[in-house]
Amino acid sequence: MKRLGIIFLLLLTITACKDRNGGSRKKMAVIVSTLNNPWFVFLAQTAAAQAESLGYDAKIFDSQNNTALESDNFDNAIASGYNAILFNPTDANGSVANVVKAKKAGVPVFCMDREVNSPNAATSQILSDSYSGCVDLAKYFVQTLHKKGNYVEILGIVADNNTWNRSKGFHSLVDYYPGLKMVAQQSADFDRNKAMEVMESILQAHPDIDAVFCGNDAMASGAYQALVGAGKAEHVKVFGFDGASDVIEAIKDKKISATCMQFPKVMAQTAANYADEYFKGKRDFPRKIQVAAELVTNNNIGDYIAFGKK
Amino acid sequence: MDLANYRTSLVKFQSLIALVLLCIVLSIVSDKFLTVDNTWNVMRQISVNICISVGMTLVILIAGIDLSVGSVLALCGAITAGLLKNGIPIQSSNLYIGFTLLGAILVGLIVGSLLGLFNGWTITRFKVPPFVATLAMLTIARGLTMLWTKGFPISNLGDSFDYIGTGWFLGIPLPVWISGIVVIIAVVITKKTVLGRYIYAIGGNESASKLSGININKVKLTVYAIAGLLAAIGGILVTSRLDSAQPNAGISYELDSIAAVVIGGTSLSGGRGTIMGTVLGAVIIGVLNNGLVLMNVSPFWQQVVKGAVILLAVMIDKANSKNE
Repeated sequence: MKRLGIIFLLLLTITACKDRNGGSRKKMAVIVSTLNNPWFVFLAQTAAAQAESLGYDAKIFDSQNNTALESDNFDNAIASGYNAILFNPTDANGSVANVVKAKKAGVPVFCMDREVNSPNAATSQILSDSYSGCVDLAKYFVQTLHKKGNYVEILGIVADNNTWNRSKGFHSLVDYYPGLKMVAQQSADFDRNKAMEVMESILQAHPDIDAVFCGNDAMASGAYQALVGAGKAEHVKVFGFDGASDVIEAIKDKKISATCMQFPKVMAQTAANYADEYFKGKRDFPRKIQVAAELVTNNNIGDYIAFGKK
Repeated sequence: MDLANYRTSLVKFQSLIALVLLCIVLSIVSDKFLTVDNTWNVMRQISVNICISVGMTLVILIAGIDLSVGSVLALCGAITAGLLKNGIPIQSSNLYIGFTLLGAILVGLIVGSLLGLFNGWTITRFKVPPFVATLAMLTIARGLTMLWTKGFPISNLGDSFDYIGTGWFLGIPLPVWISGIVVIIAVVITKKTVLGRYIYAIGGNESASKLSGININKVKLTVYAIAGLLAAIGGILVTSRLDSAQPNAGISYELDSIAAVVIGGTSLSGGRGTIMGTVLGAVIIGVLNNGLVLMNVSPFWQQVVKGAVILLAVMIDKANSKNE
């Protein structure tokens, strides 16, 4: 029995050794803020697919919007010998310590979509410019409403930086037009069902609105659904953000007015490519790249597909 | 009526009184609150929570808890939507098994009941505490939902399916019909059937019920299966209302339904409470959600207010049961 135990232990060590050094294939960890939202699923899967197509092993870690869980994911990734981390942070400030931890362990981190507030911790950050995207969206919003009307804003999760980046970008322009009046501002947590319910209630208080701006496309779909239920879908213009497939279809059918296309595919692939170049010896990466978010309306919808360009 | 009688009836109707007070305040603050339109709006919004909360009431009456309802809801909604939209592809051929509307819904409901039954099985057969067993199911069902949907919503499910969640019948929204029928059946079960008596008996004193010859395990299995079935009905309602099965649907719904049960005066230690109390609880939460949005209260404050109401309800309930 004792001997069996020793053999078993030996076997364990051998596999462990192999896991660390024996495998010549390098590994990339994709640590993503959440997999509860199709946009991030797409981001994570694209990053993993690109890593694999470059000849690396890749595994996705889900932080479930929890910075503490994210810290565990980093520990596990570093301990199990991942050579690079393609990272979508849960929080700009809260995630800094995790990135620093990886850097100290000699594992380069490439941020995707969301930023960490530290100039040197990450090897490179490939970010989505939500703020400027929303300024473009706001321009179109003002134009479509002819600078006059009542509108509703539906915010995402109020503890999320993206929520406020988008809202601030939008208001940085819209607030200059006194004819545009925000009659309600509510949160629906980036959730389609909540957005529908919130919109249904808002429509009771303000049956005469002209437009809705939603912090993401899931909420835009939910708000649209509420407008259909109230028989107001033809009169009220809906604006979203993300470029999700349901909304792309809805813009084609002129049900939703506009969205802002982010490019998760571009960001994920760039991050994986950078990690590949890092392994091959390159060290001078741009600290920060802003990937513009582009305005999508019925006029240019032909150029776009869900989460990207044709 | 003497004072003691007056007091007990006041205690009995405390959630109704709370609801009436809430409605009076809201209709003073907003003239949009007490309208026919908004009443149907609130009723439609709470129909999902009512379905789930009825199941939760039965589970809590037997001194259990079901934390898995939100995930089961998401899984069943997604299964019905997926079967309706894509069917089941047959490996290594271009064929697939298609589903009719009724077939897809039926599979969704069966899956919900089976998951509930599984909860009951782990609880009765292996004596896993309900909190742990259903907590595990919460994670498992969510994971299965992710696997089934691959993390993406399943949308555009067709007008006849959408009718379930958005249509009207005899001037009343269909979801209200469905939740209403669920409530009636549950009231009959708890008040008029042997099963109902057993449920209260087990919650009141499990070992005494066992000694008196009640097949406790069978009752528990039935109750958890009903909770799963009702979560599945909720899932189909949510999916139909949205015209889309969301992989993250139903997150934290278990908390909303426990809140409804608790506000409705059902004791978390089992044996005491009513279905109609829970319905009142669900209405109070629904009215509160609606009223806070109508008044455009900041989203930060809304959470504080909702929590305070739950706390207040339980505090009053506790104070009263001490006096009894």
